[in-house]
Amino acid sequence: MSEPHTSPPPGTQAPSGSGPLRLQAEVLESERVAANHRRLLLRAPQIVTTAQPGQFLHIWCHPPEEIDRPPSAALLRRPYSISRLRPPDGVEILLRVRGNGGRLLAAKAAGESLDIIGPLGHGFRISPGLSLAVIVAGGIGLAPVSFLVERLGGLGVRVILLAGAETDEKIPFRVERPQAGGATLPEMEALGAEVTFVSESVEGVRITEVVQARLDELPGEGAAMFAVGPRAMLKRLAEIARGGLPLQVSLEERMACGLGACRSCVVPARSADGASYKTVCRDGPVFDASEIDWERLTP
Amino acid sequence: MTKPDLGVTIGSMAMKNPVMIASGIFGYGDEFAGLADYGELGALVLKTITREPRQGNPPAHRTVETPAGMVNAIGLENVGLDAFLRDKLPAALAHGTNVVASIAGDTPEGFAECARSLDGTDVAAIEINISCPNVKKGGMAFGVDAEASAEVTAAVRAATKKPIIPKLTPNVTDIASVAQACERAGADAISLTNTFSAMVIDVEGRRPLLAAGTGGLSGPAIRPAAVYRVHQVAQAVEVPVVGMGGIWNANDALEFIIAGASAVAVGTALYADPAAGNRIVAGIREYLQRHGIRQVSDLVGSIQL
Repeated sequence: MSEPHTSPPPGTQAPSGSGPLRLQAEVLESERVAANHRRLLLRAPQIVTTAQPGQFLHIWCHPPEEIDRPPSAALLRRPYSISRLRPPDGVEILLRVRGNGGRLLAAKAAGESLDIIGPLGHGFRISPGLSLAVIVAGGIGLAPVSFLVERLGGLGVRVILLAGAETDEKIPFRVERPQAGGATLPEMEALGAEVTFVSESVEGVRITEVVQARLDELPGEGAAMFAVGPRAMLKRLAEIARGGLPLQVSLEERMACGLGACRSCVVPARSADGASYKTVCRDGPVFDASEIDWERLTP
Repeated sequence: MTKPDLGVTIGSMAMKNPVMIASGIFGYGDEFAGLADYGELGALVLKTITREPRQGNPPAHRTVETPAGMVNAIGLENVGLDAFLRDKLPAALAHGTNVVASIAGDTPEGFAECARSLDGTDVAAIEINISCPNVKKGGMAFGVDAEASAEVTAAVRAATKKPIIPKLTPNVTDIASVAQACERAGADAISLTNTFSAMVIDVEGRRPLLAAGTGGLSGPAIRPAAVYRVHQVAQAVEVPVVGMGGIWNANDALEFIIAGASAVAVGTALYADPAAGNRIVAGIREYLQRHGIRQVSDLVGSIQL
């Protein structure tokens, strides 16, 4: 059953599943995937059946049985994109071993449990006529991309992934540089994506430059762009895509409730009076680029 | 032993237990739906409304986590009175327990207009937000001054028969005198504390982390300071006191009750545990049973000095 907060445009997949659930998810695996990044595999069958790419989990970083005791650090839950589904019951997240929450989660071992609320927010909308998806991801923005690539691939959509970072260490995946053809991400290729990766420190280019250079080779119809990453990258893509490719962006902001109640994580939305806000946690995190007031969006 | 009686009364508002949800935490009651049985709680205080909708403070950031707390500067973003009555209140009432509306305004008459419109609704009580520290015009200006607090309370008193509960800011020199002024002006109860004025600085950028510059600190970090103020106010007024500030578990709630609060409100804890209020109700019941106390009201202000 699908019960989105707002009706999706006709003919599109519902971007959200049924309402958020709260559950205890056992950590099945914890693995270092790259410098300073870990992958957690959680047992959460209820999430597997309802989650859409782009949605997130709101995670209590301490032991579930200690929810009665206020911690001094990581008092609030932390939002993590659903990175990949492992049916029938596995859900993956990717995390940076950084900050109070990230360090606590990185220390979780198999057999421990997490108190999670999810799936939350509105994910990527995939229109039925889509034949080519260009996914642009920067840095830790790669976290939700596997899920999206798999979903698109399952629908028969061709996927081009253009990913970038300041350095190889800033992404949660292994980078390979074969003799010819530049850098790639083998795990994303294994999922069926045509991958280009650029590191500013090695290749010396930004991913937005790669996107601009390759725009001409894209067909006029049936293509759409999906972007996750730093705001400066998203802003540049909104300029590049304006008037041409449909663009959806996934935004981040500091959250408290994760449910749309506290109004902490708002971003400026386009409106007639130029003064309205939308919540990243509930209206987003995925927005159509046209919904966002890019002029007022702070870096 | 028979089950202890958790019921308390705030003005004419009878509550099945003393645990409320604090204003601003819960939105208008629909966002948390399904994550706990909120109908089990004594009362739900909704997000503050003003007569006209407000956009609130600019984003990035409106909230910053701090040790055992968080600092927020939302700026009273709200849908306005009309949309509240039309779109939000019915869903809140559907939780099946007392709903308390929280109101604010730029002038005493602004508060009174909200109260007048709420008078004919099914809200059980009205909390008067004279203490929100985030709006430059309004909130703070009333709550820091006993006379201005009384003026707002009197204006609201004249506009409604519902129980009215001014919510005090802790950012004053003598909170008991503000409470007494509100009581004289017709308050049925006093709630406290709102957040403590606070600032967080990004040392790399040498700028405040909150876009508004300053905000209000909530969470366990403020609890002992809030307990003390509740104790001070409870000794100074006759009307019931609703205590809040960093309550995370039943033990915390009991501190406030023993200090003199007839009821308590849970705020920041709900962000970690949407069922924090329900957990606290169960914990208070367990405490009363363990101590052979028949009713929670026997515990109110029972501190031995």
